[in-house]
Amino acid sequence: MRTLTEKTLPGIYFLAFFLLFSVLPLFLNQAILYMLGLALIFVVYCVSWDIVAGYTGQTNLGHTVFIGIGAYTTALLSTSRIPHPDMPVFVTVFLGGVVATLFGLVIGAICLRLKGYYLALVTAILPLIFIQLANIYSGIFGGYEGFSIPFSKALPGGVVGNYYIALLFTFTCLLIMYAIVNSSIGVKLRAVRDDEELAEAVGIDVVKYKLLAFCVSAFFAGIAGALSVHYKLTVGVDSFSIPLMLEIILGVIAGGLGTFYGGAVGGFAIYVARNWVFIQLASYVNTLLPFHISDEMLLYALLIVLIVLSPQGLVTRLVESIKKTRNSKNENRA
Amino acid sequence: MLAEILVLGSIIGGIWALVASGFSLVFGVARILNFAHGTYFALGAYFALVAYGAFSRIMPPETALIISALLSCLIVGIVSVAVYIFTIKPVRAYEVMVILVTLAVALLIKEILLSIFSDVSISIEPFISGCVYIAGVPVTYTRILAFAIAISVILAMDLFINRTRLGKEILAVSQDSEAAMLVGIDVERVFLVVMFLSAVLAAVAGILYAQIYAVNPMTALRVLIYAFAIVILGGLGSVRGSVIAAFIIGYMQVAVSTLFASEWAEVVAMLAIIAILVVRPQGLMGVE
Repeated sequence: MRTLTEKTLPGIYFLAFFLLFSVLPLFLNQAILYMLGLALIFVVYCVSWDIVAGYTGQTNLGHTVFIGIGAYTTALLSTSRIPHPDMPVFVTVFLGGVVATLFGLVIGAICLRLKGYYLALVTAILPLIFIQLANIYSGIFGGYEGFSIPFSKALPGGVVGNYYIALLFTFTCLLIMYAIVNSSIGVKLRAVRDDEELAEAVGIDVVKYKLLAFCVSAFFAGIAGALSVHYKLTVGVDSFSIPLMLEIILGVIAGGLGTFYGGAVGGFAIYVARNWVFIQLASYVNTLLPFHISDEMLLYALLIVLIVLSPQGLVTRLVESIKKTRNSKNENRA
Repeated sequence: MLAEILVLGSIIGGIWALVASGFSLVFGVARILNFAHGTYFALGAYFALVAYGAFSRIMPPETALIISALLSCLIVGIVSVAVYIFTIKPVRAYEVMVILVTLAVALLIKEILLSIFSDVSISIEPFISGCVYIAGVPVTYTRILAFAIAISVILAMDLFINRTRLGKEILAVSQDSEAAMLVGIDVERVFLVVMFLSAVLAAVAGILYAQIYAVNPMTALRVLIYAFAIVILGGLGSVRGSVIAAFIIGYMQVAVSTLFASEWAEVVAMLAIIAILVVRPQGLMGVE
């Protein structure tokens, strides 16, 4: 009986959240709906990062490379900046994911040899290379500011249509990723994370599974980044940027590393906080203070406080304490 | 061309050596990868600028400049110790969190600098003016002085670490912090000293850099890239390795800037890091 509920429960949650999000357009105005659609896409960034960082234990600080590659791939294929055949939007978005996966394979291969600090250093540097290249070849990539894509390449259906596309997209991605991390592949990834040598000893091909994690992570980040371009109609180096990486990390950490739901819930909460609550808060605080406070400052301050108070993730801590009290109750009963 | 690369590369190499030796010292002693290190570089320049603006009204400019430079180094050192106590120390057991929290500190300070000074580059009044030709390359006295100061500060630090008692405690902790604790060394105090020292070195570098070139709020992250490149080349935790590597990166930076364009210097530095690590995952002269 218990296994049945454990198996069906996530499905019920998925369905409940999906239904909740699908009725939201009835109540919310367009500006908030637009932001929520981007928040849903952001959730895919977070969960896909969690596959490498949380499930496989590789400190990848360069996840935005995949997002940016996906974004620029579809953006370049939607404009006439480089010669190419005309393709429908969903094909270029998919190609964004494919190109990101190729980079995931290469970056994963580089990172195979690196551990701990060196891995963090190298992956932190990778997005900066792309930002610099985008600036050097500004004729193609539009420099720091990026470029816009034509309106004909927008997602159909206006703000509400865009929102539903983002919703469908995000829940499809989440379902696939959920299936992956809860299959035997997910178990092997966690084995690699917990003890690489032991995993090798019991016959898990560590190299293969690390690369697989990077590729899966890169693919979903790539298509999500690509979709966001058609959602926003612009692309710029901010899709590679360190602040975006930090927001992703903040989302996953706030929710709990390697827990799946943590990345999804935490990522959504952080995006909404960052792009709505903090902006409101900053404009309110600025009326009281003589100096200017930006919403970024509030974000970074929150990040510092969160990490200092609870380095292992707030929700993880909460769940653990709940489990602990439940266990002690059970023991008392026994 | 070659003379230019050698002369100008040595000067920028000296400044990078200041930055990277502090970064490496902190990692070697406390195993902290301090992403806020580049921030101390920028803060050094900004504090000196503000202090100079205030002091130059009440005293002769030369004295004001020296006092504000020294004061700035002191303040940056204190900021670094405060950042360590309030943000790094509580999470030191989680290596990834140390990276994230220091990165967040760096970005927070960058935002604060942006909101106060906006997105313009600043320079600091040089200590001396004038120019001399070395091997046909015009070199300002400021640059020569910067080189001299950088070298003397690094030599002084080397002496401090290898000759004084506190320095030997630092060495002991870097070799084995638990054993150091067992023989009665106050490890926590050593960490504080190292955080202070590394930030002061970065601040000195920032002030010298702002006299030759210019500093803006984004500099903090750019400097960090060079610091990464240098410590990876020299090996994380090896201070002498980083000093040598700093000069290599300095020459490379000037060479790339003169042969191609200055935008490429960072790309080449970053690609060099990755190339080195792919071949030797522990850095060229690195310790495990």
